[in-house]
Amino acid sequence: MEADDKAAAAPMLSVTGLSKSFPGVQALRSVDFDLRPGEVHCLIGENGAGKSTLVKILAGVQMADRGTILLGGEEVSFVSPVAAQDAGIACIFQELNVVGGLTVAENIMLGAEPGRFGSVDKKASKERARALLDSVGFHELDVTRMCADLSSAEKQAVMIAKALRQNARIIMMDEPSSPLEELEVRKLYEVIARLKAASKGIIYVSHKMREINELGDRITVFKDGAKVATLDRGEADSEGLVRLMVGRQLTERFPTKNREPQAAVLRVRGLTGPRVQGVDLDLRAGEILGIAGLVGAGRTELLRTIFGADRRLAGKVELDGKPVRANSIPAAIAAGFSLVPEERRSQGIVPVLGVGDNASFVWDEFPGRRVDRATRRETALRMVEKLNVKTQGLDQRISSLSGGNQQKVVLGKWLSMNTRVVLLDEPTRGVDIGAKREIYRIVDELARRGLGIILVSSELPELLGLVDRLVVMNSGRIVGELPGSAAEEDVIALSMLHAA
Amino acid sequence: METAARGWRSIDRRTLQTLVTFSVLLLMCLVFSQLSSRFLTLSNFQNLMRNTAPLAIAGCGMTAIMIARGIDLSVGSVLAASTVLAAALAVAGVPLYLAFALALLFGALVGMANGVIIAGMRVSPIIVTLGMLNIGRGIAYLISPSAILVGLPPNWSDIGTGKIWILPFPIVIALAVIAIFMWLTTSSKFGKRIYAIGGNEEAARLSGINVERTLVVLYMLCGFTAALAGLVLSSRVGSGDPNIGIGFELQVIAAVIIGGTSLSGGEGRILGTVIGALIIGVLSNGLNLAGVEPFWQYVAQGLVLIAAVIVDSRVNEGLLKLGRK
Repeated sequence: MEADDKAAAAPMLSVTGLSKSFPGVQALRSVDFDLRPGEVHCLIGENGAGKSTLVKILAGVQMADRGTILLGGEEVSFVSPVAAQDAGIACIFQELNVVGGLTVAENIMLGAEPGRFGSVDKKASKERARALLDSVGFHELDVTRMCADLSSAEKQAVMIAKALRQNARIIMMDEPSSPLEELEVRKLYEVIARLKAASKGIIYVSHKMREINELGDRITVFKDGAKVATLDRGEADSEGLVRLMVGRQLTERFPTKNREPQAAVLRVRGLTGPRVQGVDLDLRAGEILGIAGLVGAGRTELLRTIFGADRRLAGKVELDGKPVRANSIPAAIAAGFSLVPEERRSQGIVPVLGVGDNASFVWDEFPGRRVDRATRRETALRMVEKLNVKTQGLDQRISSLSGGNQQKVVLGKWLSMNTRVVLLDEPTRGVDIGAKREIYRIVDELARRGLGIILVSSELPELLGLVDRLVVMNSGRIVGELPGSAAEEDVIALSMLHAA
Repeated sequence: METAARGWRSIDRRTLQTLVTFSVLLLMCLVFSQLSSRFLTLSNFQNLMRNTAPLAIAGCGMTAIMIARGIDLSVGSVLAASTVLAAALAVAGVPLYLAFALALLFGALVGMANGVIIAGMRVSPIIVTLGMLNIGRGIAYLISPSAILVGLPPNWSDIGTGKIWILPFPIVIALAVIAIFMWLTTSSKFGKRIYAIGGNEEAARLSGINVERTLVVLYMLCGFTAALAGLVLSSRVGSGDPNIGIGFELQVIAAVIIGGTSLSGGEGRILGTVIGALIIGVLSNGLNLAGVEPFWQYVAQGLVLIAAVIVDSRVNEGLLKLGRK
């Protein structure tokens, strides 16, 4: 009976052989995918598994290299987000595209306001917006409120109503429940039920096992840019899905882990910041501690809060038994912290300056202050040599170096200081394989020299290959700890199963 | 409780801002009325308003552009070039009102050039209009290296000096422009696009709005209002002077900012700009009457601008905190 129903529902969207590559990465490998009217089709996979790329291609944000997209039986190719929208595909991205300075009604009707002679018929506009919001159950949202003042859930409501106003037949949602409170999530599920009843097709990207099992009529699992399987609801339990997502071949070589951590160097208690909730952490000298978790789990924020870059609201940080003053980067550096930030281009380097200047500007500000030119050059040269930075000289612009060599400078500049704890945030992002190995070697060497190292990385094999121990974060909290010998599945299970 | 606080904030944040600016204006009037007995007279108010009219007129066009996160630094020289053009045409025998119309068209065309380069070629508006600031001044001097006084038709000064009942023409014109721009920003479809572009350009694009075309129209409007402000000003002065309006663009931008329009776009009101223009007008008029040296007026204007921005950000911050609690 159920099988008959499915056969009857022809797909409204079907994708075949979709491929997309970026320099150095095959983001999507010949993916097939389809969506039926009135269904919620969940996409699941690790960070970078390809689900976002698929969504972006369908939304017209990126163009596929190969493959066909059939929409209602006709082949389409979207050159722009507007083209996708006109074809009836709406996208509720995480960075919600509402205009803060306009009201709810104005946002919903933006671009298609009712009214004659260039005037907006405000009454008709409000009525139409009201009807659209009511149709998905947002009865209590006042259409005259300014969007800048809305909560995430309310902004989502505006986006959904606007999608309906644009006659969207397919609605893609990228982790819509992550910014929401529990009650709001319930509400979202009700809205989705209404959209299903109206025969809309819904593509739902999520990391949360619980909601995937609750919402997904079908689930497609991605791994390394390829589709692993498409399952019907109930065909696999959470553990089964996790197993499908992992199991990659190890291609990297990591330094052997025969380091011997010594005395405790860092003690963090009850650390709370904008997106960090009461974190306790201990780190020993000579130890590499990994922090795992999904994007948005609060890993970067934890490092930044320790470093004084994000606001510390509560809790204490002690280095070698001495408390570190809150909210002061100079104090953190003076105490012995160093940070390799997440975004190298925008946070790690000063692109227009030379290699030498990029390395030495921290030296001028902190211990060993105001070093003279000669010492500076000498120190920089030693670092370049020691870390094997491929550069024509200290005066070469750092932006003309490869990503890996830039990163070596960002990391290396700290080594001539009295650093005790190195905070590494995605140190190998955008770096080629060869440079990755060198960075692994440097990190290992630093640990052997007795520094404490905290490593955040979204690449699980890298994290597991390097660390002595790792903690898993979720929603700003530490939800578990695993030994460095843990399996990928254990880490993913901890990161995802705990998700609310 | 929470919704009440939010509601209060959403409805009143901008109205409150306008009220604060308005109270500052009233306070200044109060102070000047104590300093000089001539301040609170009908003739002084007519004079004050007439002097402020060009600022308010050009401020309307500037507000619209700044809401869309643009800026136009060329208004001072566009003003000069178009009035000199009108004067030269009038002296050459072109009927006066045709000369005025051509001058307005010239202003709009310069604005269009600004808009096309900014929106079409994606160049920073500051740089493009800074260039245009020089070009416009150059054109003004090329048309006439010195002020055109002789040969202007006798009715040249009509719009600057005439009045309807107790309202001088410049005020009538300013009120008309203000009314049109108020409708444009609050009640028209075009207005929604301006706020959308300034607040979130990507969202505007995704709503099917032609961002480039809208920007071009905005810069045209700004060039047009600058030219109109120029005609009002030079008709009152009774000449077509290429030296007119030097530094005018900064006064206009100051009026817009004092009026609560944000430099980062997406927010702003015509009413605020009008109050901002009046604050600047009252300040110079009042200081004059009080016998303060003109040089101090620059200092006072600068202080008011800085104070306005500080008060504005404090008010916003305070309200945000209140809304969160």
